[in-house]
Amino acid sequence: MSKVSENIVKAEEGEVFDIELEKDVLEANRKLAEKNRELLKDKAITAIDVMGSIGAGKTSLIANLVQLLRKNYRIAVFKGDLTTTIDAEIIKRYGVEVVAINTGKECHLDSNLVMKALQKLNLDAIDLLLIENVGNLICPAEFPLGSDRRVVVVSVTEGPYMVIKHPFIFMDADVVVINKADLAKAMQVDMHKLKNDVKKVNPEAKVVFTNCRSGEGVSAVSKALDL
Amino acid sequence: MHEGAITRQIVDSVLKEASNRKAKKVIEVDLLIGSLTFLNPEQVKFWYEILTKDTFIEGSKLSIRGSEAVVRCTKCNYEGSFKYVDDPALHVSMPTMQCPKCEGMVEIVSGKDCIIKSIRMSI
Repeated sequence: MSKVSENIVKAEEGEVFDIELEKDVLEANRKLAEKNRELLKDKAITAIDVMGSIGAGKTSLIANLVQLLRKNYRIAVFKGDLTTTIDAEIIKRYGVEVVAINTGKECHLDSNLVMKALQKLNLDAIDLLLIENVGNLICPAEFPLGSDRRVVVVSVTEGPYMVIKHPFIFMDADVVVINKADLAKAMQVDMHKLKNDVKKVNPEAKVVFTNCRSGEGVSAVSKALDL
Repeated sequence: MHEGAITRQIVDSVLKEASNRKAKKVIEVDLLIGSLTFLNPEQVKFWYEILTKDTFIEGSKLSIRGSEAVVRCTKCNYEGSFKYVDDPALHVSMPTMQCPKCEGMVEIVSGKDCIIKSIRMSI
């Protein structure tokens, strides 16, 4: 029997190795989102992520919610947009703390930007945080922010097929708002069909019809969010 | 949708791993893309070629496999693929969070990931 020292298998010059890595490149955002969630929980702040397509009425919904809830909650709003503070100024008029998050060219908010925005607030002075995501039904679904609940806003002026064209964003939604109910007839959009589509994708999502111009349905949204 | 930024992270990870192990050459990178991500494999390959240019991993092959999402029922513990509901009028089928076996709701177990499984390199 040969000695062990004489019988070693050595990697030769240029030997090929398969290195198992198992590295998830999307995990970084998810980990930061968890940090945000922990921080918010620690400060007893309820955070709500409002997503939806461009022009669906996310800002109007938030403006309505702020007016309805500011008596009972100390509210702050994060307003995500590529550029400008137009919407942020609109919400600021209602006397709540607003941080504009300008993403530059990014089509969604990510947990890193939310973390930076959280540093701009006195977290001991608020108990409700409304986060308006960038208008988009695709990318925000891929980037959790660390919120407690997620709202998706669609409106009848986008036509009857928004839900079946973008099912993935509705999977994680707790509440779906179908806005501009007053225009449904003119747009010839069946809101109940839209609601059924949401229920098909996510039977547990609560669906609320609103007209954020008049404020109709906003208290039902607040109730659906347990606020 | 974010193939450029994600592929940048992939290339950085491969470069780091390969130089830590003093690799002479990277032959192949095995990547798994979950079906619930919005990453288009063609675009990832396109970016990989551009981003590895003039680095020592230039010319390495990026092999991409897709992985179907896995869901688990919170009621009956079913584990497997989504249930799809068809809308015959529109020729579409939508994934649903309803369990294919019972009336329960499912939660997503996997499918939202983009994993560098392994790197084949010569040392």
